[in-house]
Amino acid sequence: MSDHAATLAQAQEKVEACESLDALKAVEREYLGKDGLVAELLARIPALPNEEKPAAGREANVLKQAILQALDVRRARLAEAAIASERSATGFDPSLPPPRTQRGTLHPITQVTRELEDLFHSMGYSVLDGPEVELDYYNFEALNIPADHPARDSHDTFFCEGEGKLVMRTHTSPSQIRAMESFEPPFRVVAPGKCFRHETTDASHDHTFHQMEGLVVDRNISVAHLIGAMKTLLRGIFHRDLEVRLRPGHFPFVEPGFELDARCPFCQDGCSVCKQTTWIELLPCGLVHPNVLRAGGLDPEEWGGFAFGLGLSRLVMLHHDIDDVRHLLANDLRFLEQF
Amino acid sequence: MLISYRWLQRHVDLSGISPEQLCNDLTLSTAEVEGLERFAPHLMDVVVGHVTHREKHPDADTLNVCQVDVGSAAGDNAEPLTIVCGAPNVDQGQKVAVATVGTVLPGDFKIKKSKIRGVASHGMICSVRELELGEEHDGIWVLPESVTVGQPVAEALGIDDWVIEIDNKSLTHRPDLWGHRGIAGEIAAIYGRSLESLSFEWPELGQGESFPVQIETPACSRYLALPIDGAVPEPSPDWLKWLLLSVGQRPIDAVVDLSNFVMLDLGQPNHTFDRSRLSEEGIRVRMAHAEETLRTLDGEDRPLQESDILICSGDSPVALAGIMGGEDSRVAEESRQLLLEVACFDAVTVRRTSSRLGLRTDSSARFEKSLDPTLPEKAAAYFVRLLCEMQPGVTLPAPPTDVGDWSDPAFQLTLRPERVRADLGAELEDSEISGILERLGFGLASQGEELRVDVPSRRATKDISIERDLIEEVGRIHRYDSIAEKTMQASIAPPPHDPRRELVRTIQDELAGGARFNETLGYSFIDDHLLEKLAMQDLPHVQIQNPVHQAQTHVRRTVIPNLLGALESNRRLHEEIRLFEVGKGYIPEKTNERGEPTELHLAGLIWACAPPVKGAAFDDNRFSQLHGVVHTLLHTLKIKDFTWREAENRPCWAHPAKALEAVCEGHEETPLALVAALDPALYAGLGLDGDLASDVAAAEISLDALLEAPRRASHYEAVPRYPGIKVDVAIALSEDTPASAVEEVIIKAAKNQFAGIELFDLYRGENLGEGRKSLAYHVLLQSDNKTLSDKDEQKFLKRFEHLIGEIGGELRRG
Repeated sequence: MSDHAATLAQAQEKVEACESLDALKAVEREYLGKDGLVAELLARIPALPNEEKPAAGREANVLKQAILQALDVRRARLAEAAIASERSATGFDPSLPPPRTQRGTLHPITQVTRELEDLFHSMGYSVLDGPEVELDYYNFEALNIPADHPARDSHDTFFCEGEGKLVMRTHTSPSQIRAMESFEPPFRVVAPGKCFRHETTDASHDHTFHQMEGLVVDRNISVAHLIGAMKTLLRGIFHRDLEVRLRPGHFPFVEPGFELDARCPFCQDGCSVCKQTTWIELLPCGLVHPNVLRAGGLDPEEWGGFAFGLGLSRLVMLHHDIDDVRHLLANDLRFLEQF
Repeated sequence: MLISYRWLQRHVDLSGISPEQLCNDLTLSTAEVEGLERFAPHLMDVVVGHVTHREKHPDADTLNVCQVDVGSAAGDNAEPLTIVCGAPNVDQGQKVAVATVGTVLPGDFKIKKSKIRGVASHGMICSVRELELGEEHDGIWVLPESVTVGQPVAEALGIDDWVIEIDNKSLTHRPDLWGHRGIAGEIAAIYGRSLESLSFEWPELGQGESFPVQIETPACSRYLALPIDGAVPEPSPDWLKWLLLSVGQRPIDAVVDLSNFVMLDLGQPNHTFDRSRLSEEGIRVRMAHAEETLRTLDGEDRPLQESDILICSGDSPVALAGIMGGEDSRVAEESRQLLLEVACFDAVTVRRTSSRLGLRTDSSARFEKSLDPTLPEKAAAYFVRLLCEMQPGVTLPAPPTDVGDWSDPAFQLTLRPERVRADLGAELEDSEISGILERLGFGLASQGEELRVDVPSRRATKDISIERDLIEEVGRIHRYDSIAEKTMQASIAPPPHDPRRELVRTIQDELAGGARFNETLGYSFIDDHLLEKLAMQDLPHVQIQNPVHQAQTHVRRTVIPNLLGALESNRRLHEEIRLFEVGKGYIPEKTNERGEPTELHLAGLIWACAPPVKGAAFDDNRFSQLHGVVHTLLHTLKIKDFTWREAENRPCWAHPAKALEAVCEGHEETPLALVAALDPALYAGLGLDGDLASDVAAAEISLDALLEAPRRASHYEAVPRYPGIKVDVAIALSEDTPASAVEEVIIKAAKNQFAGIELFDLYRGENLGEGRKSLAYHVLLQSDNKTLSDKDEQKFLKRFEHLIGEIGGELRRG
């Protein structure tokens, strides 16, 4: 009996001295393992006289339970201490920077195109794609800009080699004719895409830029509808009501043609964006010219429509305050990563 | 185009309309006003002074010390100012322009009090050049006697003016607005004021023989020639000089100034020849011959073509019709005999010649807009009437020659007021509609419900041709901002399903999302040098005739070259680059019946980083990784049963061997995607060597093929009820045996328990022997009806060992 008490006291002492779970396991092995002390005690029992056997077994078991209990207590205490130590956060530096996670990005032109496509989609517009290398017929002829029309000069066209039938499209307006060829009226369509003008490049001009054309064909379309639709559109883009004004603008494929100005959304009384005028020229638009409807196979007495053009590159620049249009197509990761 | 506010007042009363208001209203009804500036603003600061006393400077012979009275401009107790002046023509009693101390002259030149050779000077007496009003600088500017001392010079001379700049582009369709008279007409219509009438009566004409003129080309529809005698090269009167100055024209002499004035007032270009230098045969208007040249007034020799209209004296060219006169017939100083030309030339012909020669003049800008053919006679009469008023010695020895095959373009249109209201969406009264049209100079007559509209010749050459054009006239004068917005009435239906757009979005989202690529957009033109570097220069490309840069004549066939071209600069700054672009390519050798080149819709991907370090995992290379990205993308797109094969059409940039393409069963001719390592031969040329040594792979995805490819139906696979077991196998086998053969064996050995396979190592080493490799797989076995045990694993391994032996493989034991 006294033997066991001493053993237990020694075991308890060892348990109490343990500072880690590993050390605790070693003590557990020493006493309760396969070849441990308790196992040894139990192994001796068969050799004892029969009358001593039950008591010896009982005592060995009591010893085992007592050690187990000491281990459990110590284990719980160590766990508590570990948590407490974790929680004390010694050595934690809250100012350490987070590791850099590389992420993918969508081009800002894609982002604004999507936003607009979704906006138009919600208003019943389809999205149409058109070629960048375009037939002269679609880019000019069918848009009421016959050969030798002075408006061709201002288009600064890139001409493709060959029989003179192909140009790099100077605007997304060819999509108007393509839309009339592929949809049954009434319809609404927008056509985003790349356009090209033979221009010297600088911070605000690039020979390649993105536009989005819009076309609505229906019966009884009027200037009043155009104004309403443009206001709705601007509300969708700028998320608030902007005062707009229509003024005459000449584009051969619309009649009457307009420039739509909106109150500068960036200032109250003049800033660099609006060149101190408080108006920004936002989109050219107009009622589709009867000749264009005819070129699209529609009878202008029955069908009418309005068309408009949005400068996507310009909207992106306005939105992100980008000071040089050439960043947009420069393939520079330092630029692309920001969006 | 510059318009002078004061000039406009010759034609229309502007009282009560400020320049700002005028600009705003012109912008909203007629054409975009780009700018409004005060004419010679410093003339509001420089004041009239009276030289009361002049004496020689005590210490300098060439300087004068003047006492100049500037009245109240010098302050209340108006002592005359002492000003030292170097001009030889300054004299006592003169009225002069004085810049007092503090005044800022052009060139940011601030007048300060100064001491000149010991004498204090309190200002400056200005020359014409110092005020930027002319080139003369050999003396000070002497003002007329009548001006009031102390007043700002601009006010004293009555030349305070505002210059309005109108955007030329917004006038391309309005030949009638290329002069002050036309703009004044718009203003009269906008404000409902009347336009001053002008006299186009001829002054007294002599009865001599008219000057001979012969038109030999239909490109000149009218030619009016009038001999003028006795004109002297004297300066124009002040009123004319100031008007010209206000719109940026330097006054020269009466004849030149009047020629400009008539053009800037009526919009009709005209030209004066020295008649004494013209042949007696007279004027011939003909097309140029090839190889002919003409030295124009600016001293340039112009090579001509058969499409250029020439004015000839006899047969020698004297002017490039409608663009610029020739140097040889320039009016000489001593000339008293002139010939005035006012003509009508074909707009397209003039435009072509002027663009070809890069010679845009005020004259060509007007002719190319299609001028009113009735205008030349009015303009000629206007010219000579003003000349006779200015120089009473001028005589007109003969009536004008007026030849040509032209007709008055005035015509009639029918306008339905109902249609005006419908198109504008505004409830305009009939009277409002007709009122606006009348104010704009259209003649009107009622015809039942409709209006018969007489379109005057000045509007009939270009702008107005159909009813809709008249509706625009009504709309813009009524003002679009007074039209209330309306909501369209239409049925609400979702737009048709658009698989192309959905595909583009999914690709963008997958690549920018899970694959963490950065989307870029590139130019459609590629550098010739880049094509050479990629050995693509011999492929057919759509070519640009007039590139911005000589080395950018090609329109891309695919998007990959742009991406490869962007590598070097990006690699300098980034360890790793993952870019993709969704864009188009053009294949000129395949065109449709309309001549359009085949358009490819593509997504290009590029992945580059430093080469893998020794001992890196077998698949730690860009080709394998990119292969994984594209494979996952095709899987996400639910492409049905696609497989990878060695690329059959390897692009120029691709590694000769490491190039794979994905195809769909039944669509083997149109691969969905190609993934390849970059050809090792190209790295150095692309700048990817040395510090920038890289491992690069690229992929090209055909959106066109993806749209055609069959898709898997979305369906759910039951989650297994019993746990599976993962068995790892490593097989040593010959390099010649492809991994696919091993995978077939695994599937065969696993029988119906096969649930998945994953290659986790590819190893080559001496211990395997020459020409051998080791592949290691995780194999997942699963059963529908029981939990698999060790026994099942052993059975599988036994079968596998046997089967793999048949293809020369050897199961390696741990």
